[in-house]
Amino acid sequence: MEQFRGADGFDDFAAARWSALLHVGRLLTGGDRQRAEDLVQEALVKLWFAWPKVAEQAPEAYVRTVLVRLAARSARRRWWGERPVDQLPDRADPGDVSSAVAERSRLEAALAQLSPKQRAAVVLRYCEDLPEAQVAQALGCPVGTARSHASRGVARLRQILSDTVRPVG
Amino acid sequence: MDDFERDLSRLMHDTREHTPYEPAHRQRLHAGIRARRRSRMLWKAGGSAVAVAGLSVGLAFLPGMLTRAQPADPRPQPATSPTSSPDGTPTTEPSATSPTPTLQPETSLPATTTSVTPSGTTTRPADPTPTATASESRTGTTPPAPPPSPTPTTVPPSVLDSGEPSASASTE
Repeated sequence: MEQFRGADGFDDFAAARWSALLHVGRLLTGGDRQRAEDLVQEALVKLWFAWPKVAEQAPEAYVRTVLVRLAARSARRRWWGERPVDQLPDRADPGDVSSAVAERSRLEAALAQLSPKQRAAVVLRYCEDLPEAQVAQALGCPVGTARSHASRGVARLRQILSDTVRPVG
Repeated sequence: MDDFERDLSRLMHDTREHTPYEPAHRQRLHAGIRARRRSRMLWKAGGSAVAVAGLSVGLAFLPGMLTRAQPADPRPQPATSPTSSPDGTPTTEPSATSPTPTLQPETSLPATTTSVTPSGTTTRPADPTPTATASESRTGTTPPAPPPSPTPTTVPPSVLDSGEPSASASTE
């Protein structure tokens, strides 16, 4: 395997943060696992070229910002190169049908109904537990705008999730 | 943060599943890095090639543009200066020969004449330098105004009276 010069520690960082980044990417894409993997990989590729500059500072913040912007850009795209296949690549195991998976699916389905900016603001605020200033920095907008995105996203999620669990009758 | 936001935060944290960083992920990531690096190098090579081509085209056309522009440029100064020198001989010749000698004596002579009269006749041809005459003229102008001033003004008349200007001047 080729040795990548000038990127000491990059593989360790990618291995350590892969799972968390994939989770954030999955929430940002509304539960699309394949697209989340593509986004995380593209963000890590961009991080690799900026690694000598940001390795000593804040690679986590850098890759998070890149991931959010890539997710927003891919949400505007109409086609992601997907092609129909005969068989589904990922089949859920019988043991996966649990309350955790059901909750996750419900959350991802609700997040998928938000606008990309609202989704990113909600995910960064409530999943990454970032303060509003860092959410605004990642979104590339003023703090008030980021706060507005987050509050509107939460209000929309409140409405969607209450509708899904509303008892019948 | 109300109850719903707290539940939302808990839900987002609880649904996190651990996905290991497998060798397939690593190989795919390195392949992506290699592809991006290759495309960057191609972009850089293409950009530098375009820059070199533009510079070479510019340098190829620049001499042609300069030679084309040379005959059209009128140059009045070299054409007028040789013709004026023969035509203006009466004005240039006197100015070339006379001005400096005539002007200098005109300006310096009054100073020297005033200064020479007290100092004596022998020092006039021996003092061609303007600095010496200027210094003497300063001293020479001052004697008539304050006659009772100290040594320099009173000594020359006494020297003239004694008849030995050079000796008295050298002693001072």
